[in-house]
Amino acid sequence: MKWFKTKTIYLFIPSFLFLLLPLYGLGAAIAQSLSDGNAFTLIYYKELLQSDRFLTSVGFSLYIALVSSLLSLLIGLWVTRTCYPLLEKYTPRLIVWLPMLFPHFVWGYMVILLLSETGVLSQVLQMTGLLAESSDFPVWTRDPNGIGIILTYVWKEVPFVILMLLPVYSSIKPQYYDLVQTLGGNGWDRFRTVEWPNILPVITESFLIIFAFTISAYEVPALLGTTFPEMLSVLSYEWFYGSTWEERPLAFAAMSALSIFLLIMTLAAYLFLNRKRWRAMRGRIS
Amino acid sequence: MRHYKIRFYVLASFLFLFPALLLVLQSLSKTWRFQRGEGIRFQLDSFQVLLSDPNLWSATGWSITIGLLVLLINLVVGITTGKALTSLSFRGKSFIEAVMLAPILVPVLAIAIGLHLFMIRIGLADTALGVVLIHLVPTVPYSIKIFQNAYQQLGRSMLDQPVILGSNPWHQLVTIELPLMKPAIRSVTFLTIVISLSQYAITSIVGGGTIITLPMVFFPFLDTANASIMAAFSVWFAMIPFFLYMIVEALLWLLPYSKKMRRTTT
Repeated sequence: MKWFKTKTIYLFIPSFLFLLLPLYGLGAAIAQSLSDGNAFTLIYYKELLQSDRFLTSVGFSLYIALVSSLLSLLIGLWVTRTCYPLLEKYTPRLIVWLPMLFPHFVWGYMVILLLSETGVLSQVLQMTGLLAESSDFPVWTRDPNGIGIILTYVWKEVPFVILMLLPVYSSIKPQYYDLVQTLGGNGWDRFRTVEWPNILPVITESFLIIFAFTISAYEVPALLGTTFPEMLSVLSYEWFYGSTWEERPLAFAAMSALSIFLLIMTLAAYLFLNRKRWRAMRGRIS
Repeated sequence: MRHYKIRFYVLASFLFLFPALLLVLQSLSKTWRFQRGEGIRFQLDSFQVLLSDPNLWSATGWSITIGLLVLLINLVVGITTGKALTSLSFRGKSFIEAVMLAPILVPVLAIAIGLHLFMIRIGLADTALGVVLIHLVPTVPYSIKIFQNAYQQLGRSMLDQPVILGSNPWHQLVTIELPLMKPAIRSVTFLTIVISLSQYAITSIVGGGTIITLPMVFFPFLDTANASIMAAFSVWFAMIPFFLYMIVEALLWLLPYSKKMRRTTT
């Protein structure tokens, strides 16, 4: 048995090789954001902090990512809670996961097709006479409030949240629900005492994944956003690929700052969950 | 009970089935102008225009090649790591698990621009291999997680038994683990291919305009093509995971017991 155990260690080799990619990439990005070619400098970060364009973009990105991830979680949680016995069957699950078959930007195009000022919904409303002309339709795509971006993200991430939560809900023993009921608890008690402790780690993980993705993905805001305000990813991509090379270090600085922010957030969540688990193991729940 | 079932089907069809159908219908119909009474008028020109674009075919080829390579590496890394994480227990394992998940929490754009210079230096920039490598970053963490779950469901005893019976690891993988992990392999196939197909920014940075994949044809199309052609293109995007899924399914058929299981159940 010992022979077997020691050999299994080698199975980690592929993943450690893989981890070199993001590690080196992030390291190099940070290194380039801190160097003016030969010496250490913080000038690019100072430049970022003085740039209104960057600061507006930070606020806008935070707003889009927070709203998208919280809405996706809430809706996904609600659907999973109310429908999980049904979702264990094949066909309902297939319907819910259909959006996952499309890349994000294709789904974004679908949102344009359906909800732009000349889109299908606007056309149908005009046909029925509820709307006089297409200019009366609210601007939901390529709008300054990022409604189109949020819509696309929520629409695409709800199936993801269901995918993450479904195994947890299937594994909760129904006896616990009976127990809550016998003790006279209502639906809220059931959620708070049985479901919440079970789903908390998955909810946290899903939030982190969706938040990190929506705050940094390029494709959907490039398709459904406007030029102002723009998301961090779009701005950084432009700085990186722009006509002048002088703006490149700004892209490195912006992306490095965002990465470090996300990593600190992850670490905090990890420590929080670990402490919770530690307490639970010692019998002091809550 | 009945009530929520109906509500679910109505909501789910409206929110998830309907948009997909909308794309399919628009791709098969002339561009809609419902307000002028021009509804569904069947046509196939959109697909003809799309498929006669030479860029589309080469981009499809690149996307499939890159997707398959990304999938292959994902399977190797996912299976080995999933097995290691399941069969070993050691201090700090939950930390290692968190580290394995971390790459999807770091902006892949940051990693791509960071790796860019290095890739130029070693000649990987503007090559398909470079694109494959960068596509691993947003996919591998998911595969590791899926295979770790799959191995956990198999259970320790199922993994110990062949070792006790004197099987070598390779034999064990092909005859026991892979046949029992088919659902995991299917999930990884879909997820990996769709994520790889979704990458525009990092593909264009690492591919440098030399490696043209499907998203890079899709984005400029938006300004010129009409709704029917765009819808046809969208449908094309969804067909690629299906096509590759069928290839993987055919390969899974080659695994041991695939045919016998059918026979014994009848």
